[in-house]
Amino acid sequence: MNVIVCVKHVPETAEAEIAIHESGKRIKTENLVFDINEWDDYAVEEAVLLKEKLGGSVTAVTVGPEDADGTLRKCLARGADRAVRLTDKAFEGSDSYAIAKILYKAIKNLPFDLILTGAQAGDDGCAQVGVVLAELLGIPHVTMVKKVESIEGLVKVERELEGGLEEIMELKLPALLAVQTGINEPRYISIMGIRKAMKKEIKVLSLKDVGLTEEEVGESGSWITVEKMFIPPVEKEAEILTGGVDEIATKIVETLRAKGLI
Amino acid sequence: MEELSTIRKLNFNVCMQCGKCTGSCPVFPKSKLNPRRLMLETAYLTSPLTMHPPLNIYEKSEVWDCTTCSTCSYRCPREVEPMDVLIGLRGLLIEQGRVPPTLGDALEGVYKYGNPWGLSPSKRSEWAQDLEVKYVSEGEKAELLYFVGCAASYDSRAQEVARALVKNLNTLGVDFSILGNKETCCGNEVYSLGEKGLFEILVEKNLSLLDQYGISRILTTSPHCFNAFKNKYGKDLTVQHYTQYFADLIDKGKLKFPQRVEKVVTYQDPCFLGKHNDIYDEPRKIIENIPGIKLVELNLSRGRSVCCEGGGGRMWYDIPGERGRLAETRVKEAIDVGADILAVACPFCLLTFDDAIKTTGNEDKIQVMDIMELVAEAFLPSNVQCK
Repeated sequence: MNVIVCVKHVPETAEAEIAIHESGKRIKTENLVFDINEWDDYAVEEAVLLKEKLGGSVTAVTVGPEDADGTLRKCLARGADRAVRLTDKAFEGSDSYAIAKILYKAIKNLPFDLILTGAQAGDDGCAQVGVVLAELLGIPHVTMVKKVESIEGLVKVERELEGGLEEIMELKLPALLAVQTGINEPRYISIMGIRKAMKKEIKVLSLKDVGLTEEEVGESGSWITVEKMFIPPVEKEAEILTGGVDEIATKIVETLRAKGLI
Repeated sequence: MEELSTIRKLNFNVCMQCGKCTGSCPVFPKSKLNPRRLMLETAYLTSPLTMHPPLNIYEKSEVWDCTTCSTCSYRCPREVEPMDVLIGLRGLLIEQGRVPPTLGDALEGVYKYGNPWGLSPSKRSEWAQDLEVKYVSEGEKAELLYFVGCAASYDSRAQEVARALVKNLNTLGVDFSILGNKETCCGNEVYSLGEKGLFEILVEKNLSLLDQYGISRILTTSPHCFNAFKNKYGKDLTVQHYTQYFADLIDKGKLKFPQRVEKVVTYQDPCFLGKHNDIYDEPRKIIENIPGIKLVELNLSRGRSVCCEGGGGRMWYDIPGERGRLAETRVKEAIDVGADILAVACPFCLLTFDDAIKTTGNEDKIQVMDIMELVAEAFLPSNVQCK
């Protein structure tokens, strides 16, 4: 099974103090630590597990600056065979649609049975690239995938729905799966492993190489523009309810009703 | 199998399979970890002879149960160093990515953020904000560097030790500085976990920091940092654990305690001070010099001391299905010898014992205190009594 995994190099924000950039349209990333997007890490691990079981190859693809090599090296250390970085000044400011277009152009002529992406990215949380990419390629897709099983030209997948529900689906290959965290337990990547991966080649492709024009990517090729980014103001509207359990429950319901929330 | 080269250097032929290592191992009674058997299996793995079935290291997940307390190596009559073999075997698993997830997270935390808890480096020196400290990283030179370490920088309980140490140094008028947010993990636990590549990165980073700021002497909170700098950096660094520093001051007659601390105190020898570095007398000297304190020894002390189970990565990993940590047994022993205070000289001991006192419900019987906190009590100018 030949698998392509789309990955993103993102800033880690869980522990960091976030500040807005002077432009007011993005966050400051100077002091942030970058790593592979968490969901993508699970996707790469899943691709490597499939390769270990079924044979074939794994190719990691990213759209990003040179720094994104850190993420690709991690993919190579995890067991990917090839890595492709799509880098061009013109790609900056691309939304999910434009990113999917770039990936589409780079991937469409590569041999693959399956494409894996993370269900979403830890930075913008859009969860759109995988779906748009599948549409552009004209292949079926499933999002929020928690389990993958290969059966003769098909993949049987379990996807997560709301409220603890799960859905089981079968897809004809080639297909695209957007992977949810927890699908596997990504193995630890040692420093020696990353060092060894330094010897593997990372193929770099530009706007021209993939056959796109400047109008098709970046802000001009996007459907979404960021008007303003801001940190939500801290609200100080807290009410401590007192009394017995029934009394508190009644008050909660009354408050929620009064505010039109139920 | 590059990692086997480290293991090969050790001389297995002298191992006589006496089993002293297994008999001494504090986790053996509750884990599958059997150092003697591992020595035998590894010996066959590295020799032209074979053993059936051969050692399959990938099935030996119990190597993660080791606390690297070094009792096996300390007691081995033939100096086979079972602990080093075990660290080498861990290295083989690391290279294959077969690491328990919580340990993988701790290693990633060190790689990305410079501490095993993966907390922000910009918060590393928050504990010192209201204290009088020099920051060598901001050009405030001092002859002595106080290397705080990850636990004392980030854990709220261990921070109290760092704060006590700083106050004590200030009381004595010692000229010292800290690295502030530039400080990064010493790598002792990284080394113990067998992550050689990451350890090399940390050695390089720390040596370049020491060089950049012209640091000639280091003082540590943690015996783990002390051990890394002293024994694992491959340099002749001048480093002292604080117990050595304060014991020296007593020898020079420069340390006088104005307060009495009327308590019965027992002392837990941290593995990385005692068995790893033969430092047994200095901590006791400090405790005994505090007026009012009665020092009672635990039944098992000094070289026979039992690990608290905080070393070798065990701060971030529990033995699957284990019942009761060694620290809980130690707390009960401390109560049995009549101690009001279980004194420690290591932040990992402090945290494991703090937990053990709570899990055994002995909060009203005994309290764990770092030696630096006892010293701070004895330095108090007023007549404030010990808690």
